[in-house]
Amino acid sequence: MRRAPDLALWLALTLAAGPVAGDIAFVTCQNGDAVSVLDLSTGEEHARWSVSGKPAGVAVGTGGTVYTVSPDSKSVRHFSAAGELLAEVTLDGGPIGVAHDAQRGRLFVSDWYNARLWVLDDETLTLLRTLPAGAAPAGLALSRDGAVLAAAERDADRVALYDAETLTLRHSVPVGTRPFGLGFAPDGRLFVGNVGSNDVTVIDPGAGVALATLPVGERPYGVAFAAGRAFVTNQYENTVSVIALDDLRPVATLEVGDYPEGIAATSDGRIAVANWFDNTLSVIDAVTLDTVALLDTADGPRAFGAFILKGEMP
Amino acid sequence: MNRRHLLMSGAALSLLPSMALAHGPTRQKITLTTELAADPAEVWAAIGDFQDMSWHPAVVSQEGEGGNEIDATRVLYLSDAGPDGPRIDEILYKYSDEKMSYSYRITEVAVEVLPVTNYSSHLTVMPRDGGGSVVEWRGAFYRGYPNNDPPPGLNDEAAIAAVSAVYQAGLDALVERFGAPGA
Repeated sequence: MRRAPDLALWLALTLAAGPVAGDIAFVTCQNGDAVSVLDLSTGEEHARWSVSGKPAGVAVGTGGTVYTVSPDSKSVRHFSAAGELLAEVTLDGGPIGVAHDAQRGRLFVSDWYNARLWVLDDETLTLLRTLPAGAAPAGLALSRDGAVLAAAERDADRVALYDAETLTLRHSVPVGTRPFGLGFAPDGRLFVGNVGSNDVTVIDPGAGVALATLPVGERPYGVAFAAGRAFVTNQYENTVSVIALDDLRPVATLEVGDYPEGIAATSDGRIAVANWFDNTLSVIDAVTLDTVALLDTADGPRAFGAFILKGEMP
Repeated sequence: MNRRHLLMSGAALSLLPSMALAHGPTRQKITLTTELAADPAEVWAAIGDFQDMSWHPAVVSQEGEGGNEIDATRVLYLSDAGPDGPRIDEILYKYSDEKMSYSYRITEVAVEVLPVTNYSSHLTVMPRDGGGSVVEWRGAFYRGYPNNDPPPGLNDEAAIAAVSAVYQAGLDALVERFGAPGA
C-alpha cells in the first residue's frame, strides 16, 4: 500500500532534481486552473501543476517554496518547488495579492473585499493576525531589505506602507487612480502602477512621499526592474513601457502579447511577461529590449506577484 | 411602486462610477472563429467599419462619432425603441486596415442587456489556408456581479454564455452571407 505515495514522491524528487540550472518561472494560469513551471534557461515547460480555484496571485520564496492564491475558491496554497502541496487554507473574503517575508516566516495576503491583509505563518498557513487596510487592497510587495511591506489600496487610491517587523502602519501615500500592482526598485524606491490614471507613482518608502508620477500605457498592471530600468506591463495596450531609473525618462515602448500582466526579472537581466490572452510568456533582454523567447503556458497566465525562482547561475 | 422604482434607479446610477471599475475575481476570455468562402478584403469591407455593425442581426440601429479613429464611439441599439431600449455603448481603441483588425471596449451596458463588466474585444479577418477567410472574434471580460458569491444570472458562466451567443449569432450571419469555404 505504500508503493503509490513512494512512487509519487520519487517522481516529484526526480523532476525537481532535473536539469534546472537557471531561473524557474511559476506562472499562475487562472483560466486553466494550473501553474506552468517554466525552465527559463531552456524554455521548456518543466511541469504543469493542477491548481484549482482560478489561481492568480503568486509568491516564490527564496528557499524554493511557492505560494498561490485562488480567488474563486478563496484558497491559499503552499507548494514545494517540486509541486508537492505542503499546506492549504481557505480564507473567508477575497484573497488576491500575496507577498512572502522569508526572514520572519510570514506570508501576507490581501483581502480585496474586506479592506484588510491576512498575516499567515509561511509554513502551515495558520492565520496569525489581520491588518486593517484601505479599500480593495490588491498588489503586495516586501522591500528588498525586508523592512517595509507595501500594499496597493486600489479603491482608496493610496499605498499603505507597513513596518514589516512590527506590522504597524507607517505611511499612507496618495497615488494615482486605482493602484493595483507594485514593486520595489533595486535602489529602494517603490513603483506603483495606477490602472485608472494610466501612470506610475514613484514613492520614497522611508519618507512616505510620492517623488514622481510617470505616464505609461493603458492599464498599467505590473512592474519589474533590470539593467537600470523599470518595465511596466500595459494590459490594455499589449505593450511594456520602459523607464530609465536614473532620470525616470521614458526609454521605449515594447510590443508584447495580448493582455500582458505579471512581470518579473530573472537573475541574468531578462524580463518575463505573462500574456494573459495569448497563453504565452514573453522573455525580453533588458539591455537590447529584444524579445528573446516566447514560451507557451497553460490557459490565462496572470502571474500576479513575484513568480520567478532565481536559480544558481553557472 | 413607481416611486420605489425611481429610487432604485437613482441608487443604481449613483453607483455607476465605481461599478465601471469594480469587477469579480476572474477575468474570462473566449475566442470564436468561423471560416468563410469570400476573400478577406471582401469580408473586411463588410465588417471593418466601426460605425456600421448592421451585419450583426442583434443590432437594429446605431449612431456614433469619430469614424474609425482611435477613441471613436458608437452606440448600438438592440431594439426598435432606439435610445429608449436596450443599448451598448462602445469605444474604439485599436484599428488597423492593414491587419484587418479592430479592438473596442464597452463603456456602458446594463447587466440586464449583457451580464459583463470591463469588457473588451478584438475582431479580426485573416486569410484562410486554401482560400477564403477566417473571422476571429475574441472577448475578455468579467462577470456582471462585481462582488463575492454572485447570483446565478450574473456569474462567470452566465457572462461566458451571453458573450458567446452574441459572437455566434454574428458569425453565423456572416456564413449565411458569404458562404462556407468549399460549400
